[in-house]
Amino acid sequence: MRYNRFSKAMTYGLAGAMALGLGVGGTAFAGETEASAPASDVTLEFQQWWGVELPDGALDEICKGFTDKTGIKIETLSNPYADTKTQIAAGAAAGTMADVVGLDGSWVYDFAKQGAIANLSDLMKADSYDDSQLSDQIKYEGSTYMIPVVNFAYPLYYNKDILDKAGVTEVPSTWTEFLDACQKIKDNTDAAGYCIPLNTEAPNGIQNQFSSWVWASGGSLLKDGKPSLTDNETLTKVTELFKTMYDKGYLSSGVEAMKEQDMVNEFENGRLAFMVDGISHLTTITKESPDINFDYAKMPVMDGFTGKSGMDVANWGIGIAENCEHKTEAMQFVEYLMSPEINAKLAQLANAFPGNSNAKPDYSSNDERFQKAYEFFNEGYAINEFTGAPTAEDLMRSFNEQLVLFLDGDTSSSADALSAIQGEWQSVYGS
Amino acid sequence: MSNTRFKWDKKGRRRIGISYAYLAPTLILMVILLMVPIIMVIRYSFFDNVIVNKNPVFVGLQNYKTVLTDKKFWEAVGHTLYFVIVSIIAHMIIGMAFALVLNTRYLSSTTKGIFRVLFALPWMFTASVIAILWRMLLDPNGVLNFFIQALHLSKQQVLFLASRDVALRSVTLINIWSGYPFYMISILAGLQGVSTDIYEASALDGANSVQTFLHVTIPSIKPILISLIMLDFVWTLQQFALIWMTTGGGPVNATETVSTYIYKYAFTKYQYSIASTGAVILLIVCTIIGIFYVKRQIAEE
Amino acid sequence: MVGRKKVSGKIIVLIILIIGTIWAGFPIFWMIDNSFKPNAEIFAKPPIWFSKSFNFEAYAKIFQNPTEIRFFLNSYLVTACVVVLTLVIGLLAAYSFSRFDFPGKKVINTIIVAVQAVPPITLLIPYLSLIVAIKLYNTLFALILTYLVTTLPYCILMMTGYFNTIPKSLDEAVKIDGGSTWTALWKILVPTAVPGMVSVGMYTFMNAWNEYLFALALTKTNDMRTVPVGINLLMGQHAYEWNQMMAMSVLGSLPVLVLFLIFQKYFIAGMTAGAVKN
Repeated sequence: MRYNRFSKAMTYGLAGAMALGLGVGGTAFAGETEASAPASDVTLEFQQWWGVELPDGALDEICKGFTDKTGIKIETLSNPYADTKTQIAAGAAAGTMADVVGLDGSWVYDFAKQGAIANLSDLMKADSYDDSQLSDQIKYEGSTYMIPVVNFAYPLYYNKDILDKAGVTEVPSTWTEFLDACQKIKDNTDAAGYCIPLNTEAPNGIQNQFSSWVWASGGSLLKDGKPSLTDNETLTKVTELFKTMYDKGYLSSGVEAMKEQDMVNEFENGRLAFMVDGISHLTTITKESPDINFDYAKMPVMDGFTGKSGMDVANWGIGIAENCEHKTEAMQFVEYLMSPEINAKLAQLANAFPGNSNAKPDYSSNDERFQKAYEFFNEGYAINEFTGAPTAEDLMRSFNEQLVLFLDGDTSSSADALSAIQGEWQSVYGS
Repeated sequence: MSNTRFKWDKKGRRRIGISYAYLAPTLILMVILLMVPIIMVIRYSFFDNVIVNKNPVFVGLQNYKTVLTDKKFWEAVGHTLYFVIVSIIAHMIIGMAFALVLNTRYLSSTTKGIFRVLFALPWMFTASVIAILWRMLLDPNGVLNFFIQALHLSKQQVLFLASRDVALRSVTLINIWSGYPFYMISILAGLQGVSTDIYEASALDGANSVQTFLHVTIPSIKPILISLIMLDFVWTLQQFALIWMTTGGGPVNATETVSTYIYKYAFTKYQYSIASTGAVILLIVCTIIGIFYVKRQIAEE
Repeated sequence: MVGRKKVSGKIIVLIILIIGTIWAGFPIFWMIDNSFKPNAEIFAKPPIWFSKSFNFEAYAKIFQNPTEIRFFLNSYLVTACVVVLTLVIGLLAAYSFSRFDFPGKKVINTIIVAVQAVPPITLLIPYLSLIVAIKLYNTLFALILTYLVTTLPYCILMMTGYFNTIPKSLDEAVKIDGGSTWTALWKILVPTAVPGMVSVGMYTFMNAWNEYLFALALTKTNDMRTVPVGINLLMGQHAYEWNQMMAMSVLGSLPVLVLFLIFQKYFIAGMTAGAVKN
């Protein structure tokens, strides 16, 4: 008897919970995207971090232009960079990636290897798309998997007021001048000379604030696509340059725990004289700290170097998910974003350089400092050796760890540090 | 063997049936949503680079050998143990102290209410907010360093998160701050169950407050304390978000714990098999703890 | 003698209250304080304690943004369902563990302890595949189930602990009076264990409310997103929108504070002791 009453109650309870669950899951809670669309009207999901960084609503407007033209709807899923990465990585493994995805050059190798992103070479061929207008294509085993939509250069920012206060009259153009300027800044101001964010959560400091010095002096981390860190004169000298800066106290305190945001924060607050950072931050820095009097300069080069300088670039790349059911339409969208007119507009909005070589962005309304950076960019060449590299983030992380050990004095020489990194990198490239 | 404990007659079977009926919803949910993914993870750990490889190869215990012979893994284990043990002890002391204070007769119920909420506040924030807040407090130019220098405790800035010698302690401090309210509230709830009669009896016996605490309070809430310690152990063992968002396991690997080690394998090296192996090792450790816990519980009965 | 003891006790209590206030309160004060400052003032030396540009704009912004309101509605809905379901299901299981002996008890109990050990991050990918397979991807129901199954073990263990502090003689008495186990659970154990339920409920609320990783991975569109994901949206690549992040955290925690205040009365010492005596 008692048992019966109990089991009855249990049954009702469970049934109730399940009904609640099903009702809730089936109707009220279901995502709007789950609504079954008629085959004729296709909706593509476009997952990226660009929407967060562009002016409000700008990306949606560009996508609307595509819908007006083709009838294909675009749903933008915009999240910050790190979140987008997590979602895409999880989506790659579970097959839930959005149809069209924003990619960073450093992810391409891994997602292409996993078979999570589609071969764009095939799609372009099927569409007989003229790819000669693309300024670059990121490949894996000979086929294109990512197309850079816009590129961001990483010039040297400097704070004019700090330099004035320190008595630095000329913007340094060589390492000696740079170290000299740092010494004056240290003696005469409270500010730090330079900064490299070395937090291991996001080890991009190695790419943007370290390797940029190597590339600017015509150096390289790779040779024939393989790691070449030992017996590499430029790299050795840059590594020692950082050790000098660290030992003499030119770097911001606590660089080991800093993230890129912290570095920008230091600069915005007038506590940092020089930094290497994306031009994309131009607008935010101007907006957040209107009082900071800053400008761009060319990267200082190794004394005696007269060749062309490489300038670090990062890009907003685009790719198509392998699990996308409307690849033809997705390719149409990619082609739309790469069309000269739209690409130019996107580049102009993002303070970036276009990925279509025929695009002619009208930068006249952009900050004049931006145009200065554009000139530097045109004088040198674009380079980023981490783009398309295998497990690029991990390469940067192992470099980061060895660099910190060297700066802290745990590794006795730059040669030891670099050969340790070489060993770790080789194990990645070797496999 | 242990079956002799149960009566398998009609009444005994009905009683077993009832106990399983009470457990049924839990079991259904856990089997589908937890056991299935866990079994998948265990399976991954025996294969060569799953997910990235379309046709992974069975490699037996190879991944376990890789992980268990990795020096970095053992360093991570050391950091994890420090992080877990210090956190638990501090959580327990702080949580207990606050709970006892909030349970005294000296304070009016309004005062207690206000402080109860105030002391529980660190609980209210999501890990990313706690991480940013503490990165701000512990910054070389932050407010904590301002006080340290204003009070002449140290001439130089303390690099709480950037120094390899201090970083682990700093991260542990953040974890202590964000975790003690859970002890405080749970112990407070436990103290409500202790009958005031026992205290009165103890006071009549002439026991002072320390004796009462040791001989009356602690034994009364022992089941809760043990559950708390064990749960905290298991959770702190896999604490990821806080460490990841403050130091990322660095500088170098000064704050690398087993969970950040696993994460790096999964999401930056894309070696899910190795990551799964690390997870299975944690699972084994916690299963052993679970066995001890259950044994204790049964012994007590 | 007794008077002196009382005084020293009061002093200890006072000292702990002061230390506790600084320890718990200062970081939060600093966070709230900073949320009203422009970026440049945050690391100013010496610290700026009260900014001149104090305003509530951040809160107003949230209320004007339909996407962010949706985040809150989603979070409230998910969290409320999780708290209720966890408590109901967890109480039943805890009752079984506390008052019954059955074959497999040890094994199930051990599993409940151990399953919490697997770092959620490693479960993410198989779990995501499972959710996709049962067609719950990008639904709030997926989140409810996820949080339910992650908070259940805690609820069960803690409630078993609380039930174990309640003398068995009490529910035996009900049975002698002819009541069922069901009656014993709801009439005796549950009312006595209310403080425990409040503490477990708070824990469940906080866990479900603050969970970020699965909320990010199991949903795709903004209409299914929850507050922590929304907070992360405010942490751009370069600058933190402190004031809005804070405002979202405060608004998120308000309901639990209110509920906690309502249930405060169950934390008044002696109340349950009285219930036990009767």
